[in-house]
Amino acid sequence: MNARQTAILVALGAIGLTLAQDVRPGFDLYHTWQYAALMTIAIIVLMTYAASARRGADGAAGRRIAVGIIGALTIAVGGLLSGLIGPDTITVGGSPGTVTPVPDLQAAVFFGSADPETIARGDATVSLRQKGTDPIAVPTGGRLFLGTSILYLTARPAAYIVARDARGNRLTVTQPTNPTFLSPVLLFPQNQPLRDKSYPLDTFAVPGLQRIVRALYFSADDAQTFNRLGSKQPALVLSVNDDSGKAIGLTIAPSGREAAVGDLHVTATLGTFPQLIVASAPHPALLIIGLLIFIGGVGAAFVIPGGRKPLGLPATEA
Amino acid sequence: MRCFGAIVISVLLAGCYSGGGPKRTIEGGSGGPGSLAGAPAASYDVKRLDGRVDALNRYRGSVVLMNLWATWCPPCREEMPALEQFYAENRAKGVVVLGVDQGESAAAAGAFARAHGVTFPILLDADEQYGRSYAAIGLPTTVIVDRRGHVTRGIDGQLSLAQMREAVGPALRAQ
Repeated sequence: MNARQTAILVALGAIGLTLAQDVRPGFDLYHTWQYAALMTIAIIVLMTYAASARRGADGAAGRRIAVGIIGALTIAVGGLLSGLIGPDTITVGGSPGTVTPVPDLQAAVFFGSADPETIARGDATVSLRQKGTDPIAVPTGGRLFLGTSILYLTARPAAYIVARDARGNRLTVTQPTNPTFLSPVLLFPQNQPLRDKSYPLDTFAVPGLQRIVRALYFSADDAQTFNRLGSKQPALVLSVNDDSGKAIGLTIAPSGREAAVGDLHVTATLGTFPQLIVASAPHPALLIIGLLIFIGGVGAAFVIPGGRKPLGLPATEA
Repeated sequence: MRCFGAIVISVLLAGCYSGGGPKRTIEGGSGGPGSLAGAPAASYDVKRLDGRVDALNRYRGSVVLMNLWATWCPPCREEMPALEQFYAENRAKGVVVLGVDQGESAAAAGAFARAHGVTFPILLDADEQYGRSYAAIGLPTTVIVDRRGHVTRGIDGQLSLAQMREAVGPALRAQ
């Protein structure tokens, strides 16, 4: 492999590794010393080739390729800096209607309010507010670039709980184990291993009846195994104790249907609630500009008459 | 260049097998109701005991003492007479007391209000939106909102009549 081939190959590799930060953000690899070392080596290789080719060491075509290599260098430097100085991947969670500060972004994340329908559809809103700026909505299924960060939403299991007593009176739901005390929305911050699987777990309290309830989240597939009613809906398995720890009972609550344990009646609407992922990634504008220069330079070397040189052979003058 | 190629491949392999980058989780940031001082007061349309729709922002221009409570909460029960007395003392000065029941039915909240002789407006926050927005870490929680609609104080726990007067004083004196 000659210098030109090596340079183009390394350029493609560096572009690919940088593009990966935008296509698959949040991957741990981008913040490792190995990634930084790889990008540094690529930058050195590309700079060395570009400098010698600009001096004419690789002929007229080499000069054009050197221009393309500068485009690849732009991308590679962006990728290196993003991995080195961009923020580590952060998962930002919060209950509906609450605000979570994110010091790394000097911003606060607003999680929109959610009713049972919102939880079932999984389309609650998330917006970001930095001091002195208007709130920026983070699009569901889309991505948002902010400086050296890429922001996107992922869904986490959620359940909207409505608790009633035997007479049908609605009761307050609290979450003594969560930072947000008053919230009827469970976000399952823990996991419970059962046999060979792990299931999302949360706890809520119904102080009006002195009940503490552990809720295990079963997906639609898992629920069919447990659901005696044959429902294909996701379900909660509820384990109810009184506040002295005495077991009251166990029941399965399919999504949207009332289930009772003693005098406690629970309707759980299951679905998802968003959480925000903040990962480092170079801005797409940088990648587009760099790619255009790379394609333009390398393309010109092979398209413009007289600029082409057989690959694998040393440059010769006629 | 062969040497370079070898270095590139070896470092690439090392990178692929590392798998141990840093990841962090920030969950549900809540510093309690006191952390909201200075922030715009969030408002949600909810029903009142009399069935009409009401919300905190409909009292813009008045100083509001908003009290989050529930019938099962013993300190809330103990605090009610002081709240009623505070309301009677200050309503002529333009102070509004809003009781916001958290997640209970109108029947339960209504029976409680009647039993305690409550005359200030009671809102029924069935979805506990006010509780979450105001970072309640327990009940009762009291939030003071100034005439411009900003939180001046958020207090966790039961208040005496004297503490209510002290909490509302600065917002009442401010123009």
